[in-house]
Amino acid sequence: MIVLKNNPWMSVVARVAACVAMAVLFTGCPPKRGNAVSGPGTARPVEPGTGYGTAPGGSDVGAMQPDGGTGYNIDSPSPLADVNFEYDSAALTPAAMEILQRHALWFKDHPGVRATLQGHCDERGTVEYNLALGEQRSRAVYDYLTSVGVPGTRLSTMSFGKERPLVMGSGEESWAKNRRVHFDISG
Amino acid sequence: MATRVAVPDCVPRTGDEPAREACKTISEVLRKDLLFEEMTIVSDNLYKMLPPLKPDAPNFEDWKSVGAQVLVITKADVTAGVLNLELRLHHVASGDSMLARRFSNKADNPRYLAHQAADEILALANIRGVARSKIAFVSDRDQVKGKVAKEIYIMDYDGANPRRVTVNRSINMLPAWSPDGKAIAYISYRTGMPELFTAWIYEGRNTMFAAGRSGKVYAHSFSPDSKRMAYAFSPAAGKGSGDMDIWVANSDGTQPQRLTETAASDTAPTWSPTGREIAFTRSLSIGAPQIYVMDSEGLNQRRVSTIGTYNDGPAWNPAKEFTEIAYTSRLEGHFEVAVVDLTNGQTRQITQGRGNCEAPTWSPNGRHLAFCCENRGRWQIAVTDRMGRDVEILPSGPGDNKYPDWGPAATQ
Repeated sequence: MIVLKNNPWMSVVARVAACVAMAVLFTGCPPKRGNAVSGPGTARPVEPGTGYGTAPGGSDVGAMQPDGGTGYNIDSPSPLADVNFEYDSAALTPAAMEILQRHALWFKDHPGVRATLQGHCDERGTVEYNLALGEQRSRAVYDYLTSVGVPGTRLSTMSFGKERPLVMGSGEESWAKNRRVHFDISG
Repeated sequence: MATRVAVPDCVPRTGDEPAREACKTISEVLRKDLLFEEMTIVSDNLYKMLPPLKPDAPNFEDWKSVGAQVLVITKADVTAGVLNLELRLHHVASGDSMLARRFSNKADNPRYLAHQAADEILALANIRGVARSKIAFVSDRDQVKGKVAKEIYIMDYDGANPRRVTVNRSINMLPAWSPDGKAIAYISYRTGMPELFTAWIYEGRNTMFAAGRSGKVYAHSFSPDSKRMAYAFSPAAGKGSGDMDIWVANSDGTQPQRLTETAASDTAPTWSPTGREIAFTRSLSIGAPQIYVMDSEGLNQRRVSTIGTYNDGPAWNPAKEFTEIAYTSRLEGHFEVAVVDLTNGQTRQITQGRGNCEAPTWSPNGRHLAFCCENRGRWQIAVTDRMGRDVEILPSGPGDNKYPDWGPAATQ
């Protein structure tokens, strides 16, 4: 281990943390090769593989198969109006409850229709927190609808967090529209 | 005093254009890699007056005269589409060889060989280099007007070579590398519901997390041995739906086990480097998430964030010498990256004055953080050291680029 004697970095390391450093050193340093150059290294770059498309600014990784996703942003058309929420809240407002009472009647008139209650948030706050908040909003709507007689088997809950705003823009007007539960009956 | 390293220009072994071009890239990337880990590099202004370097018989007196203690010599040639790089390190005072290696690779990515050389040099200085690591992130660059498409991308740790991992034009988010570098697990809405997928990036296939079939997975993290997955789970509907809890399963989603059972909303699990503990976000009430830690069996749940009313998205430093957790904190209406030291409860703020920042992730050696910041309406990936000095925006490409996850030190 020539590096022990002549490695100017190791003298510092040895002073600072002798034992730990040595343990790392013996595994971390290649053996002396003198001036001889070793054979070809084992460098293996990430192989881009055979992607079927080219991403802007780079190639695709591997051969990921397309899965039929079509992309979307606006909410699916729904006969049921969105329910909106206050900032940082999953509590149903009086206006929201009024809307949900009408929705409950609609479910009664349309037996067999199932709905996914898609919870959404405005852009403020962190990703995981907003996923949880959207889930809680979805659950609040689920609880209300089941309490007024809609069978829970016809409803499922889920959250998009802040990832799929209805309208773009930063400001209370946009944020208020984006804090919503959307009723997706397309599935 | 820091060791002074001279990195003179790479010498093309043959005079042809490909060798010269490769050499130019190698010198540039190698120096940047060493600077990233705070090596002290002798300024080329000091030695450009010296006689030309004779790579096979350097005059060590010359290099002594400019204060260099270590001389890094690189020579390269391109032969039949293969780039060969010779790396030699000399102890200037004695002239002795410290290291001599030769690397070969396809000629189209000279940056990789420079990164490999950097990691070899850093190892001599007892630093586990991350020059060959990659960062996964989410980008909306593929979306067309009127549609949302968020795809998972990976790039080199310095922002070079961005590559797309998912191609489904749906919402794909929260990429998480397996520590063995073989896979990236991510949440996808391609079926209409949030599902956890694993992309085996070198095999070109996706697998679905089995435990996600009975509900929704919203955030997840591989254990340090890549064998298990911690995740936030909410049942599909019915009783318990809407209340997220932390679960652990095998990394394929078999044998799920529930770790938290409170009425609080628990999410964003992250493993300690030993795999014996898990940090996560718990919201006892809406609008007030805090960082908690528990044993990986779910016992000893305790709060570790001490400052602020809103803390989320913990990332445990993977280096065992640093017992600390990075997270996102709301401070005076802004979102900033902060780190709490678990040995003394002290918190340090990492970002400031860069707009909103979130989603911190550590480099595999624990010496750096990456996160995303929104500046003038655009999200970009940034890196800094673990104290928050020298924040650098990575050239990660067009669009909004968010939710970085820093992969292991050497991916294949």
